[in-house]
Amino acid sequence: MTALDEGLLQWAVDKALEAGASYAEARYQRDVTSGVILRNARTVGVGSEVREGIGVRVIINGSLGFAATNTLTREGVERAIMAAITRARATASLRKTPIEFSDERVGRASYEVAVKRPLGDLTAETLTELGKKLTETINSSVKEVKVPAVMFQAGTRLQEKLVINSDGAAIHSVVPRVTAFINFVLAHPQKGTLQRTIEKEASGGAELIDSWRLEEVVSEEVRNLEKVFLKGVEPPKESIDVVVGSEVVGLLVHESAGHPMEADRMLGREAAQAGESFVKPDMIGKYRIGTKYATVIEDPTIPGSNGYYLFDDEGVPARPRYLYKEGIIYEPLHNRHTAKLMGTSSNAAARAMDYASEPIIRMSNTYLKPGDMSFEELIEDIKLGVFIKSYMEWNIDDMRWNQRYVGLEAYMIRNGELAEPVRNPVLEITTKGFYSNIVGVDKHLRFYPGTCGKGEPPQGVPVWFGGPDVRLAKIRLGVIA
Amino acid sequence: MVTALELAESVLKRLEGRFDDVAVLVRQRDYVMVKLWNTEPSVTQSWIDAKVSVLVSRNGRVFSTELSVSDPDAVDNALRNVGEILTKLEPSEIYAPLPEPAEFKPLEGLVDQNVLKAMEEPGKYVEEMIDAALKEGAERVAGTLVFGRMTKALATNKGFRGMEEGTEVEAYLRAFKGEFSGHWAHGSRVLDINALREVGRRAGMYATITNSKADFTPGKYDVILSPLVIGNLIDTIGWMASAMAVMMGFSMFMKVKPGDKVGSEAVTIIDAPRDTELAESTAFDDEGVPTKDKPIIKDGVLVNILHNTGTAKKMGTESTGNAGWLFPTPWNLHVAPGNVKSEEELISELRNGIIITNNWYTRLQNYVEGIFSTVSRDAALLVKNGEIVGHLGRIRIADRFANLLSNWELATKETHKIRWWEVETPTKAPYALIRQVNLTKPPI
Repeated sequence: MTALDEGLLQWAVDKALEAGASYAEARYQRDVTSGVILRNARTVGVGSEVREGIGVRVIINGSLGFAATNTLTREGVERAIMAAITRARATASLRKTPIEFSDERVGRASYEVAVKRPLGDLTAETLTELGKKLTETINSSVKEVKVPAVMFQAGTRLQEKLVINSDGAAIHSVVPRVTAFINFVLAHPQKGTLQRTIEKEASGGAELIDSWRLEEVVSEEVRNLEKVFLKGVEPPKESIDVVVGSEVVGLLVHESAGHPMEADRMLGREAAQAGESFVKPDMIGKYRIGTKYATVIEDPTIPGSNGYYLFDDEGVPARPRYLYKEGIIYEPLHNRHTAKLMGTSSNAAARAMDYASEPIIRMSNTYLKPGDMSFEELIEDIKLGVFIKSYMEWNIDDMRWNQRYVGLEAYMIRNGELAEPVRNPVLEITTKGFYSNIVGVDKHLRFYPGTCGKGEPPQGVPVWFGGPDVRLAKIRLGVIA
Repeated sequence: MVTALELAESVLKRLEGRFDDVAVLVRQRDYVMVKLWNTEPSVTQSWIDAKVSVLVSRNGRVFSTELSVSDPDAVDNALRNVGEILTKLEPSEIYAPLPEPAEFKPLEGLVDQNVLKAMEEPGKYVEEMIDAALKEGAERVAGTLVFGRMTKALATNKGFRGMEEGTEVEAYLRAFKGEFSGHWAHGSRVLDINALREVGRRAGMYATITNSKADFTPGKYDVILSPLVIGNLIDTIGWMASAMAVMMGFSMFMKVKPGDKVGSEAVTIIDAPRDTELAESTAFDDEGVPTKDKPIIKDGVLVNILHNTGTAKKMGTESTGNAGWLFPTPWNLHVAPGNVKSEEELISELRNGIIITNNWYTRLQNYVEGIFSTVSRDAALLVKNGEIVGHLGRIRIADRFANLLSNWELATKETHKIRWWEVETPTKAPYALIRQVNLTKPPI
């Protein structure tokens, strides 16, 4: 059951059609978040947010208009519809190519993520206790260094959507999520500081917090990072084999396979914001970007995932998509607009962050396909190499080609085994440089959460990215200047 | 329709007897945004909505909430359990009672009627921007034009009442010619057609400034950074000047204190809430403290960390009028100009080096050390003997903020009003010449 009368959305769609729209869509969305923030085990903030409203989208004389309101009455919604229509019409003289959507078999469905324990169990009191415990764990895990700052943030998010459009879609969904964020700074009088952020987020109920075993994870990370901080050496200057840990691989495939395979970027719709793509439409199905190990999958339907959905915000049923398949650029992410332009069908990538955001092409859960080796087998014949397990700094250019990841927890590999820690190794590499140098992947598929930013105004949507540990041949690492 | 202040007062009335502190902040907006791709609109978006933010406290226990509603009863309803929640919390480390109201001097000229008219006919202004870029020889453009009106009202149980209405224009364009591109941006409270044309002209100019490509070898270079790049980097530095960023370990200012030297004498960065040309200008902050312009860094010396009353109490100082209830932030930023008469003269001063006209994706390995990198986009130009000789493609600044501020040498006299996707805080910035900046690019 939604908190909103479905009839208001259907009325909005009908009203927009009456006013001349050739397509109309009304989406009710309610995002409720709550959480706590602690600093050094003391409460700094406790709060909540409710974003609730209706976003309407229309195509009028070939122009696309979007308007959002949180006045949930016929009067308020009508004002939004008329703003969408009249302001889109006001730019019609500049229009060269009418905007059209692909024909799709849209759905009529209602689904809800089942929880084992309700989100309400994660009260401010409970989360504060957890934050205190974790801070204590961090402080008791260090031996020689000081911990001047620990930030802990945790909370719940409940997202409800109801999408109705003039093509017959009616999709209702309820997706709860739980989130935790820990940042700490280690300090040493001679060595300076080291900083690490650990994030967890997934769809599900209060049970997720326990499943993350945060005390164990944090304790292990702090102990390892203290060693890296105090004893880390510079990485070798010569070309070596580099094993990129799944945390880095996950981010890397999000940035260098997910984003460049968004069809709206390929066609230029985000050109002035998030940028375009090195992938051009004529490369699809033909261009070799990497070795046979370069298979990157995008799948919104993974149960429990952070980017979970079964129908997108245009009413199209979701399914896994192979962005890169065995080294070949394979299938872009489409909404109904780019699908029409490229003569194909939508693969359900349209998502909106909140009621006030237009649905645009987004990733959900993106990962590199794992293999069948163990980690030990992956590194057993490396005489000299580096394993980069985690990172802090990263970025990539606006064509999704030139990228950089600065390792945090990292180790030398000597004669097939992990050896002394390495400090701040820099992997600066092109997209083709990465995928075409993969010589092995292990079997450990791990996912990491993120908030992916795109659009104007910027929209942050929850995603997962992941992969196995990946071995690259003949890579020259850099160091921080 | 009730005004924003009436709505704030109505919510306050329902809550004030139940808590020690109550602040109600209402924001109502009517905005329109035309987004362009391939020299035509991709979508025209509008927002007509309201947001009510409420801060309550009892015995030092604090709860804040933000609700996208316009109905006081709905706010009351959403807060019905807060009293009980507060009893289970511990006092906030940064609690301070809301301040007694001080008289604030309202800002004049925040509303431009021309912006309100333009909201219903954005097409013709978009056309002016496009035409200016095409005249420079650009083949296609993408970008954004925003017109909007925002009303902000604050009511507190200490008796503060304030309401402000302001308009905004944000415009940016990216122009393409073949594989090269240029970008420019503008942000203001007023509609200035010449400024919009200048967005198109400069974007087109950088896209077409040379047809040549130049080779690049990673290393340290003398660089000129455009106001867009300065704006992006200063955005991060301004954010790190927040007392909460300092307390949380997210700031390069954690290891220094006001009075310490953090840059060359040429560096002055000012938080400028009373600059009515920029879109975040405001006479009072979210706690009702009157705003004032103040340096963050003056002549290379750290002068002010930005505070609300809570962080100020914790650090034994006074609020700087930068609340944010939890996180103080800068309003508008000024980067002080230098003495160089023109961009051409600055290029002559550079003699040999690189001009970076735009960037994005600034990320930090370590906030406390200020270790960061950022990637160039659009024109990154090699200069030899004072002449631009070619595009370098996409390169990366990978350095420390401390180095950039210390090696900052010269800046142009003229500053530019910048706001766009990668410069969130409205900023006035010059072109600046910075020596020995570390630049990188992937080997494969």
